[in-house]
Formats: sequence, structure tokens, C-alpha cells
Amino acid sequence: MNRGTFFRFAAPSIIVMSLLMVIPLLMAIWLGMQFMTFANITSPQFVGLRNYIEVLQDPRFWQSFRFTALYAAIVVPAQLVIGFTVALLLDQVSKFIRGIYLSIFLLPFVIVPIVGTLMFKQLFEPSGLMAYLYQTIFDTRFYYSEMSVKALVIIHGIWYVTPFALVTYFAGLQTLSQDLLEAASMDGATRWQKIRHIVLPHVRSLTIFILLISIMDAYRVFDSVFILTQMNPIYKANTIMTYTFQTAVTVQRLGKANAMAILTVVGIMIVLIPFLIQSYKEQLEER
Amino acid sequence: MEKVKSPLGRLSIHLFLILFAIYSLIPFFWTTLQSFKTLRDANSRTPIFFFTPTWENYQTLWLRTVPENGALIAYFLMLAIVILICLLLFANYMPVRSSLIYGFVFLGFVAILWGIPRLVEVAKFYEYFINTIIVTVGTVVVSISIGCLAGYSLARYAGYAGVVILIAALGFRALPRLAFILPYYWIGSATNLLDTHLLVILTLVAVNQPFAIWMLRSFFMDIPRELEESAMVDGCNRLTAFLRVIMPIMWPGIVSTALFTLLLAYNEFLLVRLLTQTNWTLPVAISRFTGGEDPRHLTLAAAAAVSATIPIILVILFFQKNLVKGLAAGAVKG
Repeated sequence: MNRGTFFRFAAPSIIVMSLLMVIPLLMAIWLGMQFMTFANITSPQFVGLRNYIEVLQDPRFWQSFRFTALYAAIVVPAQLVIGFTVALLLDQVSKFIRGIYLSIFLLPFVIVPIVGTLMFKQLFEPSGLMAYLYQTIFDTRFYYSEMSVKALVIIHGIWYVTPFALVTYFAGLQTLSQDLLEAASMDGATRWQKIRHIVLPHVRSLTIFILLISIMDAYRVFDSVFILTQMNPIYKANTIMTYTFQTAVTVQRLGKANAMAILTVVGIMIVLIPFLIQSYKEQLEER
Repeated sequence: MEKVKSPLGRLSIHLFLILFAIYSLIPFFWTTLQSFKTLRDANSRTPIFFFTPTWENYQTLWLRTVPENGALIAYFLMLAIVILICLLLFANYMPVRSSLIYGFVFLGFVAILWGIPRLVEVAKFYEYFINTIIVTVGTVVVSISIGCLAGYSLARYAGYAGVVILIAALGFRALPRLAFILPYYWIGSATNLLDTHLLVILTLVAVNQPFAIWMLRSFFMDIPRELEESAMVDGCNRLTAFLRVIMPIMWPGIVSTALFTLLLAYNEFLLVRLLTQTNWTLPVAISRFTGGEDPRHLTLAAAAAVSATIPIILVILFFQKNLVKGLAAGAVKG
């Protein structure tokens, strides 16, 4: 295919992406330099880099950054371990039952995140099933506090994202070389040794992929925190995204919120650029 | 891996998987129970598992007034929906062209959705449901049609520009949506498009485009070049070869991509929340049920949550294989 045809075919997509992704991103940098509320949205006032400096000095921004990091630090490893374990077990059962299990396991991941969180929250309402179990086990009522809300956000995070790792690992296991496993059996390798020396190296690239995707997703947790905390600051469970949202909608500092979003983008880019460079090289080789 | 043979081992594997299934399902199970309870039962401090189910919550959610001949209308609608679904399932075995049947089924569903508000007095929730359908269908159609063109050309063009676009798309896919949405709000208020379906659809298409072109491209790569090359020797040009030869065999890939696009549009909360004031979709409407002081919201929220989940469950039941394949193949690439 020649260059002209390529651009004619790809034009609609390129136009949409540049009009609605590249330009907005550049605009966000510029909007971040304005003092802007919903009242003066058409006539913002230029303040230079003051918003960016204000964000970096804002203790609540760093607080939400710390919670986001904590969330990622717990949810991402938990997802990998649980997902891999369940995928190994799922690989053991017959094809027909697998399909049923997979449909069930996928549900938390494909359901509307807002609805999933709401259903999760119903368990912990004063009349909820989990609140009741909590009371029977610990003999105190379950109530919303900074600790318990943070714990709920994290537990929900694990419940919500694990299916992704599970399915990816499961698909990876299906491409495992049977010859290698048989050879290992010949040599008398135990099951554990096979997992350790054959399966784990086989899924290494998948693990890196899941790691990358789930760190990116952890960066942008929003829906679950929005429902579980009701955006109430007393729980101190803001993530970067909810704090940005709050700055924009509740506090109505649109300029500052834009600056915050841009700083987040910069932070993500630092993690992302090595990966982008790597896949750029891969693509160049592949063509 | 070879299978575990010992009966005890097999038993514990199944036991563990069942426990994990319970863990996955328990919120759904509980919320569904709650949605069929009266407010009194639902607020009981000790969980009630046996009770006489009531449709009251669903009625309050969907209808403004309950019509006298409600049961009759409900049976009639159910019958119509079952007939349409059966037509859809057996379209390939009918003596008529299947595209005609698909068209008929589509029109049938539109007619039902259009007809319901004329038969009964519906509540606001129905309007949000219709909004969701418009936004979802719009996003899928636009996104897939421009995505196919781009994905195809990216799969076939070997030049430098293609790689640059792919990598840029990958980068944009990883960025938090909020970075784009705040400018969208500004664009929306400058062009007076806030609170319209058009703005929501266009922005969702843009947000979804990087994912769509990567996934479609990986499916197009699997189709051998010889196919369209021989068609072009036979006198097709690039576009007709693409439309007549490539697209017909691309359906599985398109279905997978469309499915993820559908989920994205159906699930989106933040973007719709910021860009609309009244024309909400379901996630935004449902988020209104939480945190309200009104105690009735407990069971209403449960009913709303279950209502919004039923379409998703249908999607999983019909397309589980495509979902898994898509997650494994397309998603692996980005």
C-alpha cells in the first residue's frame, strides 16, 4: 500500500484523534495556566505557571498521590498472584466447565464499574450481608471510617481487576509448549518444579504486560472511590483522579485541575516512555 | 499442564474454583435479593434470605404509574422480544437473506423501545436507558467504521508514518481520561454542544480510537494479503477490494472489537458526568442513587443496579468466547 492510499484510509481516524486527543491535551497545558472557574470560563485570566506550582505544593494532592500509590502497591501484586493461581487451577478442569467458570469470573470485570461498586457497597450497608458477618465475627458494628473506607476501596479494586489478569494468564497457559512439559515429566520433574521453571518463564512477558496495564489503571481509579467515599474528604481516600475531579467540580478551580491532570500525564509518561520506545523498536522490526 | 489425577486433588481444585465463583458473585447475589425486598425487609439488621419477592422497586424505578392492564402489556412485550431474539438466533437457517432479517430485528427493537412510552407512563429511568442505547450504538458504529479503515491501512502500510501513529495511539491510550475531559468541557461550552448526545458520542469515539485501531489492526494482520491482491488483479480498486473481499471475513474480529467498544461506552461514567447535565446515561443516573439521604434509595439502587446489569449478562452469555479471545489477543497488544 502506498503512502497516499494509507493516509486516505486512515484519515477519518487520524482527524478524530488529533482533534479530540492531541489538541485537547495541548489545550489542557494552556488551560492549566489560566485562573478559571465555571463563572469565567469564557474569559479566563492568565496566571502563568502558578497553578502548576500550587499543585506541587498542595499537601492534599500529595496525600491523594500516596493513597493512589498504596492502592497500586496492594492491588497490582494481589491481582497477579490471585489471577495466576486461579488460571492454573482453571486449566485443570474440563473444557465445558471452564466456559461456565470463565463467564462467572469475568462478570466483576465487564460490569459497569459504577454498578459493580454499588453492588459491593450494598454488602457493607448497615443492613448488608458483609456488615452482618463482620459483626458476628468481631462483635463490633461495621462503620465507615478512614481505615475501613480505604480498605473497602482496595478490596473492591482487587475484586474488580483480578479477572483481567486471570483471563490473560489463562490464555497464556493455552499456548504452553506440551513437548517441553512432557520432556520435564520424563526427567522426573515435580509439578512445582514445572511451574517454577517452565510455566513462570513462559508467562513472563504476559506478567510485564499485565503489570503495565494495571499500574496505568491504578493511576486512574475513579468510579469506585467516587461511590464508596461519596467524595467525602473526611475519609482521606482521594485518589489523584478524584482529587482532580473535586478541584474541578466542587472547588471549581478548572485551571488548577487542568494543571493537575497535566502533571499526572507527565508522571505517567515517565513510567511509559521506556515501554513506548521498546514497542516502537518492535514495530519497526515487524514491518 | 497435565491434569491432577488424585481424587482428593481434583476435589480441592473444584472446591477452590467454586469458592472463587462465590467470591465473584456475592455482590450480585446480595443486590439481586435486596432489589426484590420491601424496604422494611431490606433494612433488617439480620439478613433475610426467605421472603415474598416484590416487583415494587422495579415498578417505581421504571414506571410513573402502574397501568391497569400492566400484566397483559408485559406479556405482550416479552413475547415480542422472545420472537425477535429467536429470529436473530436462527437467521442463518431461514429461506430469506440474513441481512434482511437482521434489519427487521433491529427495526423491531426500535419499534418496541419507541412504543413502550406510548403504552405506559414511564419514569425518568427509561429515558436514561434510551440515552444509553443511543450513545452506545452511536459510539460503536462510528468507532468501528473509521477504526476499520485505519486498522486495515495500518496493517498493510509498511511506512514510517504508520509506526509513529500506532505508538502515539498507544501512548494516548495510557493517559488518564480526565486530561482530555476538562478541555472537552471547555470545547463543549464554547460550541454549545454540552449535554448533547453528539458531543458524548464524538468524545467517546476519540477516547476509544487508539484501542480500536490496535485491536482491528491485529485482526487485519491475520488476513493474508493475497486475498485483496488477487481481487485487485481482477479489477477491484483498493476500496472495493476492502469492502467486498476483506470485510466479509473480518466479522469475528469486528465483533470482538465492537464488544469492547460497547462495554466502554456503556460503562463510561466520568466523561458523561462532566459533559451532560440532564441527558445522563445509566451509570450517571445510578450514581445518583447512592449517598442520598432518602432511605428508599437502598432498594431502588439495588433495582437500578440489577436492571443495568442484565444487558451485560446477556452480552457475556452470547459472546463469552469473543470476550476472552479479545482480551487475550487484542488487549495483549495494548
